[in-house]
Amino acid sequence: MEFFFDWFRVLNQETGVNLPFLYDSYDRNRIFNGFLTTIWLSLVCLFFSVIIGVIGAWLQASSFKITRRIVNGYIQLFRNTPPLVQLYFFYFAIGTMLPRVENDWGGQSPLLGSFAWAAISLSFFAGAFNVEIFRSGIEAVPKSTVEAAEALGFSKLQIYKDITLPLAFRVVLPALNNNLVNLVKTTTLAYAIAVPELLYEANQIWSDNVNVTEMMIFLLLAYFVLVGVLVGGMNRWERSMKIPGYG
Amino acid sequence: MTFKTDLPVMMPVKPHEPEPFLRLKLWHVVPIALLCIVGTTLAFAADGDAKQSPLAVLMNWAPLLLRGFIFNLVISVSAMALGTAVGALLGLGQISPNRIMSGGSWFVTQFFRNAPWLVLLFFAMFLLPFELSILGLKIPFPDWFKAILGLSLPVMANVSEIVRGAVKSLPSGQWEAAESLAYTRRQTLWLIILPQCVKRMLPPWMNLYSILTMATVLASIVGVSEVMTLTGRALSAEGGRPELLAPFYGFVLLLFFVYCYPIARYTVRLEKKFAVIN
Amino acid sequence: MTLKTIKMLATVVVASTIGLASASADVLDTIKERGKLIVGVKADYKPYGFLDTSGAVIGIEPDLASDVAAKLGVEVEFVPVVSSNRMQFLEQGKIDLMIATMTDKPDRRDVVLIPDPNYYSSGTNILSLKSLGLKEWEDLRGKPVCGIQGAFYNKATSQNYGAEIVAFKGTAEAYSALKAGNCAAFVYDDSAIVAKTNDPEWADYEMPLPTIDDAPWGLAVQLGEGNFAALMSEMIVDWHKSGRILELETKWGVANTPFAKAMNEKYK
Repeated sequence: MEFFFDWFRVLNQETGVNLPFLYDSYDRNRIFNGFLTTIWLSLVCLFFSVIIGVIGAWLQASSFKITRRIVNGYIQLFRNTPPLVQLYFFYFAIGTMLPRVENDWGGQSPLLGSFAWAAISLSFFAGAFNVEIFRSGIEAVPKSTVEAAEALGFSKLQIYKDITLPLAFRVVLPALNNNLVNLVKTTTLAYAIAVPELLYEANQIWSDNVNVTEMMIFLLLAYFVLVGVLVGGMNRWERSMKIPGYG
Repeated sequence: MTFKTDLPVMMPVKPHEPEPFLRLKLWHVVPIALLCIVGTTLAFAADGDAKQSPLAVLMNWAPLLLRGFIFNLVISVSAMALGTAVGALLGLGQISPNRIMSGGSWFVTQFFRNAPWLVLLFFAMFLLPFELSILGLKIPFPDWFKAILGLSLPVMANVSEIVRGAVKSLPSGQWEAAESLAYTRRQTLWLIILPQCVKRMLPPWMNLYSILTMATVLASIVGVSEVMTLTGRALSAEGGRPELLAPFYGFVLLLFFVYCYPIARYTVRLEKKFAVIN
Repeated sequence: MTLKTIKMLATVVVASTIGLASASADVLDTIKERGKLIVGVKADYKPYGFLDTSGAVIGIEPDLASDVAAKLGVEVEFVPVVSSNRMQFLEQGKIDLMIATMTDKPDRRDVVLIPDPNYYSSGTNILSLKSLGLKEWEDLRGKPVCGIQGAFYNKATSQNYGAEIVAFKGTAEAYSALKAGNCAAFVYDDSAIVAKTNDPEWADYEMPLPTIDDAPWGLAVQLGEGNFAALMSEMIVDWHKSGRILELETKWGVANTPFAKAMNEKYK
């Protein structure tokens, strides 16, 4: 393995193609951790945005006008403002208003760090789209199915959990996957609040080594592969979840 | 043909009916305004010295920030125009009968669709030269122009997909009917297929524009003097007072909301109007 | 060939030589012809160069630039620059003169012409809470330290002293993050930090460490503009002699720096 890495050091000396994240162990660690952070942040956001979508869609069908209004306001607010500004607003404006806690170096630090705020902000952003996606799925479930379940003595929550949602979920999977792929691309914004994800680490490396070109091409390829794998996986999942005879 | 299924037939998926615009308009501005006010009052309570209140400071800077916002809009319109022009060609390339042409266009489309916008922007910023020499003529590439180029790349890929999707969504009977009437491929495309596609493409295209407008703030990360950059400069000129953050970022949110929300409503209306009735 | 034609030819030759001469004339003539001096300055570096509410750039360096324009008898126009594009702007001719908090380094002298003497100086230091009681650079080990993306001292701070650099794109973000407690300290130019500690808003903060990497700042003109550089050298000496730098520091609320005092003594 060391031989393989050293080859890139030679490549740099011979041709000037500088890929320090391959031959330098410090930079290799940085890129590797950046990659893990990107994946971890994506997973956390995927999870919470789907939860927000499910709950939001349920609240949107509520019989209280005020609940519907609040959910609608949330959706419109987050869909029609730039996610980067939302991130800044959460991290700098709301983050500073929260109570502080004692940290291990004897200072007072905010309750939530940059990673947590990135996760919260991006989950809410993607969640706003998910609510509408789930809602369109729920509307696709025929009333008669719900009525049949009611006749069988299912409670309201049970109907939503066991009947409406599983059906709706399959119908909306293509739209949902599309949004989730977008979410993974949006995690690059976390760079702005110094979350050490892939783009941030790559930026650190190119400011130290002045090799923007190489890092840029590496970044494009890395995201191309990352998103490509995700899209491939999602498509397989879509096929296996398909409702027979529908769509 | 019959399907063996144990599930009931589902309703067709359709975009849901939105709440009317007028009833919601006021309500939506309330949370932002509330956040601004809460932020300012909280801070004001904290230190009530002779300093200007955060709201007054914001008012001082508002004209400058507005000018910056107009620059964002200029970037968004130019990037959209450029991206649409190139993207339409790429989309037509994708449906070309020539294998190499369609394969190449497909690859370019997928590549730029899968790359994050921010990475593409960095790409354009750092890898394009400061100026281009053609026949001894020097064409300077200012930062804002590079930002337009960088943002038009993902727009191009998305427009390409919209064009392809719209063409594919037309029933194949249209092509066959044209063929039987002895239309050439070009005639079919220009006289029959594309005119029908325009209506289908308009709503997703406007959606894309909205997304692009919101993406113009990314140019701040690479140093273009647009609204977020100016906000940063204004905040540093005010000496980094933390209580200013909420009103300033809230103000930027408000600007975008006021611009993008009507576009979103109008898109939904168009969608309904152009919906194909089966 | 008639005398007339020879005369005409001669006129053409002379005229074209004059034309050529004016095309390759130095930037001073261009500036005077244009009636405007275009200067690249920082716009997010209070108090050296920052924005006022109308969007105009003000501060110590814009004031110095105005002095230059007044000496040349022309108007002045400011172009906001950042560290990553300032030298390219100058090379391109987008700006005539650059006064943008640039550290004078040998490799930079290969790209642009930096007239002597230096007009200012600064080093690297940190801004941190007094209550943390930091004493040495080693105290930063393992602590999150805010920084600016692309600053050359980030890597040094993290590799030599073991600090975890949290890099933001601008000073506003870094100051906010420091105040919010996301970082233990903010590593930056000591001149800017000194200005900050005088601000009542930042009364709880201090600049506790010995300054490292003290390096002079250089203003710059395009390579080959010897005349302009000579004029700038003269101006810089004049600024030091007359105490103009000290005066501007006071005007913009910075404590007089040792470098400015020493230069004033030296040239007085």
